[in-house]
Amino acid sequence: MTPGRGARVWRALRRNPAGMIGLVLVAVIVLAAIFADVIAPFPDHAGAVGDFAAMNAPPAAPYLLGTDTIGRDMLTRILFAYRLSLEMAVVVLAITVPIGVGIGLLAGYLGPVTSYALMRLTDVFLSIPPLVLAMSIMGFLEPSALHGMMAVSAMWWPWYARLSYNLARAEKQEGYVLAAETVGAGVPHILLREILPNCIPAIFTKMTIDVGFVILIAASLSFLGLGAQAPTPDLGSMVADGAKYMPDSWWLTLFPALAILLIVAAFNLLGDGLREALDAER
Amino acid sequence: MTASHSRLFGVLLGAALAFSATAHAETIFRMDDSAPGEADPDKGIDYVGSVLAFNIYDALLIPGQHGAPVQPHIATAWKIDGDTYTFTLRPDVKFHSGNMLTADDVVFSFKRMMALGKGNSSLFAGRVAEVTAPDARTVVFKLSGTYAPFLGALVRLPILDAKTVMAHKAAGSDPQMGDYGQAYLSAHDAGTGAYSIVSHVPESETNLVKFDGYFLGVAKSAPDKVRLRYGLQASTVRELMASGQQDMTSQWLPPEVMRVLAARKDVHLLNDYGSGIFFLHMNTQKPPLDDVNCRLALTYAFDYATALKMVKITDTVFTGFPANGPISHGAFGYDPSLPNYARDMTKAKDYLAKCKYTSPDQRAIDIAWITEVPSEERVALLMKADFDPLGFKTTIKGMPWTLYTQQVTNPASTPALSEVYIDAATPDPDSLLYNMYSSKVAATWESASHLKDDQVDALLEQGRTESDTAKRQDIYRKLVARLRDVAPAIFAYEENQVFAGLNTFQLPSLSDDNARFSAEEYGLQFRLIEMAAH
Amino acid sequence: MPPLLRTLLSRLVASVLVLAGVSVLMFLIARVIPGDPARIALGPNATPAQVDALRHERHLDAPLPVQYWEYVRELGHGDFGTSLYSNRPVRTDLEQYLPASLELIAVAALLMVLLGLPAGVLSARFRGSAPDVAVRAAALLAIATPAFVWGVMLQLLFAYVLRLFPIEGQLGANLTPPQAVTGFLVIDATLAGDWRVLLDALRHLVLPALALAMAGIGQTARLTRASMVEVYGTPFIEMARAYGFQERRIANRYAFRPALVPVLTVLGLDIAALLGNAFLVETVFGWPGVSRYGVEVILHKDLDAIMGTVLVISAGFLIANLAVDLLVAWVNPRIRLAGERA
Repeated sequence: MTPGRGARVWRALRRNPAGMIGLVLVAVIVLAAIFADVIAPFPDHAGAVGDFAAMNAPPAAPYLLGTDTIGRDMLTRILFAYRLSLEMAVVVLAITVPIGVGIGLLAGYLGPVTSYALMRLTDVFLSIPPLVLAMSIMGFLEPSALHGMMAVSAMWWPWYARLSYNLARAEKQEGYVLAAETVGAGVPHILLREILPNCIPAIFTKMTIDVGFVILIAASLSFLGLGAQAPTPDLGSMVADGAKYMPDSWWLTLFPALAILLIVAAFNLLGDGLREALDAER
Repeated sequence: MTASHSRLFGVLLGAALAFSATAHAETIFRMDDSAPGEADPDKGIDYVGSVLAFNIYDALLIPGQHGAPVQPHIATAWKIDGDTYTFTLRPDVKFHSGNMLTADDVVFSFKRMMALGKGNSSLFAGRVAEVTAPDARTVVFKLSGTYAPFLGALVRLPILDAKTVMAHKAAGSDPQMGDYGQAYLSAHDAGTGAYSIVSHVPESETNLVKFDGYFLGVAKSAPDKVRLRYGLQASTVRELMASGQQDMTSQWLPPEVMRVLAARKDVHLLNDYGSGIFFLHMNTQKPPLDDVNCRLALTYAFDYATALKMVKITDTVFTGFPANGPISHGAFGYDPSLPNYARDMTKAKDYLAKCKYTSPDQRAIDIAWITEVPSEERVALLMKADFDPLGFKTTIKGMPWTLYTQQVTNPASTPALSEVYIDAATPDPDSLLYNMYSSKVAATWESASHLKDDQVDALLEQGRTESDTAKRQDIYRKLVARLRDVAPAIFAYEENQVFAGLNTFQLPSLSDDNARFSAEEYGLQFRLIEMAAH
Repeated sequence: MPPLLRTLLSRLVASVLVLAGVSVLMFLIARVIPGDPARIALGPNATPAQVDALRHERHLDAPLPVQYWEYVRELGHGDFGTSLYSNRPVRTDLEQYLPASLELIAVAALLMVLLGLPAGVLSARFRGSAPDVAVRAAALLAIATPAFVWGVMLQLLFAYVLRLFPIEGQLGANLTPPQAVTGFLVIDATLAGDWRVLLDALRHLVLPALALAMAGIGQTARLTRASMVEVYGTPFIEMARAYGFQERRIANRYAFRPALVPVLTVLGLDIAALLGNAFLVETVFGWPGVSRYGVEVILHKDLDAIMGTVLVISAGFLIANLAVDLLVAWVNPRIRLAGERA
């Protein structure tokens, strides 16, 4: 992507109010998660501590969002849970995007046999509903945040394989690829230097939206008890634990639920804004 | 759907309900328990499985009352001649099918339990040489050696209708017995109990109906129908109770929710206790808790009073009582002369000084709590607050039950400390302590301390083989004293399982100490429920 | 061979191949991950001899391909193995719990179409104005919120606070379910003519079905809007406008129908989301379906039951997609012949 193009996309994004709201929200959430140690009112409440004097306190100063059943500040735990969610999203995408894009590009560029085999493999993965696949992998593993990331990764790469396969198939026919082939460039060179750069904007946009969806799926797993285990703060398991105490202690479940909604919506808004900006630029 | 539509629905529903209330005068008792409910009495071992087995089936003996460990039931009398037990059966016991119960049914039921090898079969495994039925009203058990807890164990041998089971057998591994009616009994029954199964879905609910031909008769005030629902959320149970749609809760509600219910005027509390202990198992095979002094230091550093306060429901009702060892007050082998455990930091420091692990880094311990029981997390945090200042380095980890049961099969992967509630399967302390502390038994979740102690082993064997009751009592007191010295666990408190019930009914066997039975789980007899007059 | 039949056959073959792939995949995951299935199945109290016996009986001591072959052979006989969670054959469990899930998913799919399509049409017709912004914002929220969050929030608002709907379950505590004919509560109640049960069952369906359908409603509204906006840009709509047709007629007659094809295709994909999210929604609402069973068996590491549940759900997904493909082919003759998919 040339600098001039980036600037044009930025200008287009700035004219998109929804996208800008998303950008601001994402920035705020990411910064809050990074500096959770500094801004959280009770940083030690992220770990295995309990304050038996302040158990199950409704929202009021100094606990703005109330406390959980062992007396820990909900706001602190939500901030640290955001950190875990973002870490998961980054790790999952760092694993799945290279694998998925690699397979997709190969399948798109190489002959029909390879492409058929690789695409049927992605079919197998895509024909198990995503959450079901991740859950069943977790069924065989010890539940933890790390294994949750592995399970989500296993269901995520086929989407990138699909996307880059279609992009590569389209680019394959372009003049510049044919030119590179004519001068005898090797397959790695054509894939990585010629085709990949032209696929990056689409992949990047999808990644932005996917941050939200990875967080959503990871929260769903931990809601079912298949993700991070206590005392690690985790949005999904906070909702699940809190639901036991409805409606008397509504804050235990409502605030983590809203927190999930906020972060996923923020990345969606930003992703949609980026996509529209890219389309407009093109 | 709009608000006005749903209001219309509500009106229609209300009218329908009013109609049904006048049309039927029969009483129904509704409660919930953990999922799944196991209908096959030879498989269920948890609370709900036991409750179903005890209400749908009968055994030769049942847990005793007023201090007796067991009392006659289907067997009216028995004779013990060395290792041979001869039982005389009542002539008037009728199965739900209409068949009369005979000695052959007892023999069949024993064989079935042992062939399936699940549930409570471990109480008898390797102990019984032969079971015979010399005539229709006599059953003879020939044991393979002296086994004093045998009578207590019989409480857990449900008698099945052999004819009904065999009429419904499906293909299975045994050429003659097929699947032993397993498919059939997973949703139907073949018992003699005061209630019989109308429908059963393990994940969601069981519907029972009163059996008119029950051999002891059933009081008119007992509910005509019983509906047990499984796996309900705590919040749901709270709401169903508040709106009068459920009569009794399970004992699995978190203290917060139980407290909300206990504060209501239309609710009374019931409880079940007698053999359950909240164990904080200490892994005796892994540093630093392989040193008994480190274990004793923790034993005296633990804040027993605060632990009980955490499970407080009302000012007088707690889901626990102070403990003085692994045997509950009132149970066989309990020694009232021993003091209850209490925090004593002087003693804790003395023991710690004798421990061979000297620095906090050497004294790193991991504490595991079971994620299905949220209140255990609090106890883990309490331990951390108690032990870290003393000079330990604790890490806390929540763990799902299945994972825990796998990890504890091997001392190396067993956590240093883990929290487990365990109660005895029978009125005999052997059923609690043998599996837990005998070094002969393979490691399970009951024996997460992996204790290897010759004195404990010897006393456990003596307890099994001594037939004189007074001498046995003495053996178990010695055993408890020894266990207090070797400290394989912190005996945090005696378990008190508390239920909330609407005032629509009373159940003395779970509320009046004079009406209680000698084993937990038996007290929840639907036939003893007194529904309020209609 | 008629083209429609040929399409059907080729899709069917592809589906069977994919399902075989799924079974291999699940089988490999189950076997490769450490842990002894026989030991897990028998529970902690089993003796080593019992474990060995089961290992032999279940061919766990044989090489992997043999194990797989044995598993498939037993599947062929309708034997899914035994659940250690429920102590029953997995097949019995699946038969017991499948109808409730299908009922829930069917109602959710219906809501998806009934609410999603009109919202999308509305949004496209008034694009840029207030209704459009509202629909788009609502759609974004619907999609960005996990099904379990929808479940918990709907429950809190409509069941706990407003008390308009029951909190959980399939039927009220005071009602007796009708005799099981089909296993589908709504159908059985209708057959039995038991209107009280039917009404109560429908009331119980509303919140879980809505929670389950939310993401799909949002997705459908978005897509309907997008395809209609595209169609609006085509010359024949311009022409219709030039002829002075009413906007409403243009929307309903000319823009909606062509826009329906991509929407239908995506509905097929959304079934995947429905099947996956059913796990969350059934857990929230204590719905006695196959997904709640699935969650329990996964938490209990019940290998045979996990395999069985995943295979059945994947098969359901493939069948649903096949049905949608055929529906699309039937609606739109132009793509009837396009059997080859990328």
